[in-house]
Amino acid sequence: MTAAILSIDEQVAAMKAAWPQFSARQIDRRAQSAWWVGSVRPQYASYSLEIRYELGCFPEVRVLAPVLIRLPGNSEGQLPHVYPPAEDPTLCLFDPREREWTRTMTIASTTVPWALDWLACYELWLMTGRWTGGGRHAGQDLGEARETTR
Amino acid sequence: MNIQLAPTGLNPFDDPLDRILAQIALSIQLPPSLHAMAKSRYEAVRRHLEARTAFFDQIEHFYPQGSMAIDATVSTRGTDDEYDLDIVSQLGGRFRGMAPLEVLTELEAALADYPVQRVLRQTRCVTLFYADKMHLDVTPSLRVYSTLDRESLITHAKGPRRSADDRFVDMNAYGFAQWYASRTPLELRMAKEFHRRWLDHAGLAARADADVDDVPNQCDFIIKNTATLALQLLKRFRNIRYASYTGRIPPSVMLSYYAGLAAQPNMSLSTMLVRLASWIIRDIEQASLYRRLLHVANPICETDVFTDRWPESIAQQDEFAGHLRELIRSLEAMRKGEMYPDTMMDTLRGNFGDRVVTRAADQIATEIGGGIQQSRQLYTRRGGLLLPSAAAVAAAIVNPAVSVARPHTFFGRKI
Repeated sequence: MTAAILSIDEQVAAMKAAWPQFSARQIDRRAQSAWWVGSVRPQYASYSLEIRYELGCFPEVRVLAPVLIRLPGNSEGQLPHVYPPAEDPTLCLFDPREREWTRTMTIASTTVPWALDWLACYELWLMTGRWTGGGRHAGQDLGEARETTR
Repeated sequence: MNIQLAPTGLNPFDDPLDRILAQIALSIQLPPSLHAMAKSRYEAVRRHLEARTAFFDQIEHFYPQGSMAIDATVSTRGTDDEYDLDIVSQLGGRFRGMAPLEVLTELEAALADYPVQRVLRQTRCVTLFYADKMHLDVTPSLRVYSTLDRESLITHAKGPRRSADDRFVDMNAYGFAQWYASRTPLELRMAKEFHRRWLDHAGLAARADADVDDVPNQCDFIIKNTATLALQLLKRFRNIRYASYTGRIPPSVMLSYYAGLAAQPNMSLSTMLVRLASWIIRDIEQASLYRRLLHVANPICETDVFTDRWPESIAQQDEFAGHLRELIRSLEAMRKGEMYPDTMMDTLRGNFGDRVVTRAADQIATEIGGGIQQSRQLYTRRGGLLLPSAAAVAAAIVNPAVSVARPHTFFGRKI
């Protein structure tokens, strides 16, 4: 049996139950889309996050504030594990090839906690220059990625 | 029936800010190998002295004082790996009636051929310099009878000749250590975790596992109380702030006294550090207001004055209060999440030194990043990230809707 695709109402309800500090904006039932804004503090600092989702697309996560700091010359790039454009990056939280996220999963139980993981790793990267949370960058093969994240 | 449970303390590794502070404290700690070495060294010094005619049958007590007596040793000022340890040698009747300088020179002579790099007579002790950068101060003392246990006189004589300034100074280091211990009882949860990491940090992981259940009884070194961790951080902060300073600096024993006063069960490490620093600031402000020098005495021996050589002026004590205010401001900003991690690192380096802060952050990055890779973390309802150890005691704040971390792989580009 395959799991059912979740409607936008189901996503909104799951977000409300799990993360009450995220407020849903612009729920569009016809387009099956919505976005949420909320504040989190995974480790040291507080961040305002925006999550945009439209059924059929991957969820998009932005850090609205503070501005993400870049580390020019870092081996992981100025800002690792994001999607361009550089001036408006979105966080890349899962590997699409591995089907780690599908439309049958709630954003509340995947995207939000993964964004918290990203922010924790980002802070540690700022502190040490090392991205210790693992992952791979586009173009990097899986074996190489595992090596570099150990 | 009411059952009084002893406070177990908070595990400093459960909270992000406390974790980095505790990791810094771990880095400046006397490592297990040197701790064992210190013990065997001071026993060897005692044996050496007792084999000398002048000291044969004349050592009544030989006991650690200062940081070693209260398990608060940190690396010496201006270093990351040098340790000063203090021993009191309570001497017998043969030394009574001698002048302070005479007692010191007798001790110096008895230790002159001791197999260390250097033997140096100081104003109140004789210091042995070991090749591994450990320094052992041996302070001769004479018991003042009909007073509390081990209240003694110690020598004060600059030498090389007798001077009008030579004198005996009253002290009760032993009594102070007892007082400190009574004020800072064992906080088992905090102590076990710190002890395990102390052994782990030194690559003694197997022993760390084995010792966990027996910590209080079977291991004679253990940081028992959060106040002692805060004290070590404060001493480190002082060492860094006064690293290039040539004069006297706020004495460790005075800071220990305030740690004993500030100790309170189940307090977070950062809160304890702020509380300790605030207590000192308050007393300095009070003294300066009345144009007086800060006066701190041993709580069980009022003639043992901890501030007899520092501060020398009101400006000096005000300067220290200024440093402490900066420390508090920075900790408050970190606690409120107002300081971003890059700025936080710069500030921590300024407070506690470059190398130890870098090492602490590296250790934490490896631990948390590894936890995330293995999906061992949990999340709070407010959007916080918890490591498994914290989650075990923080069930109430764990987000029930996101009970476990799902595995995922960070992807994307480097931009």
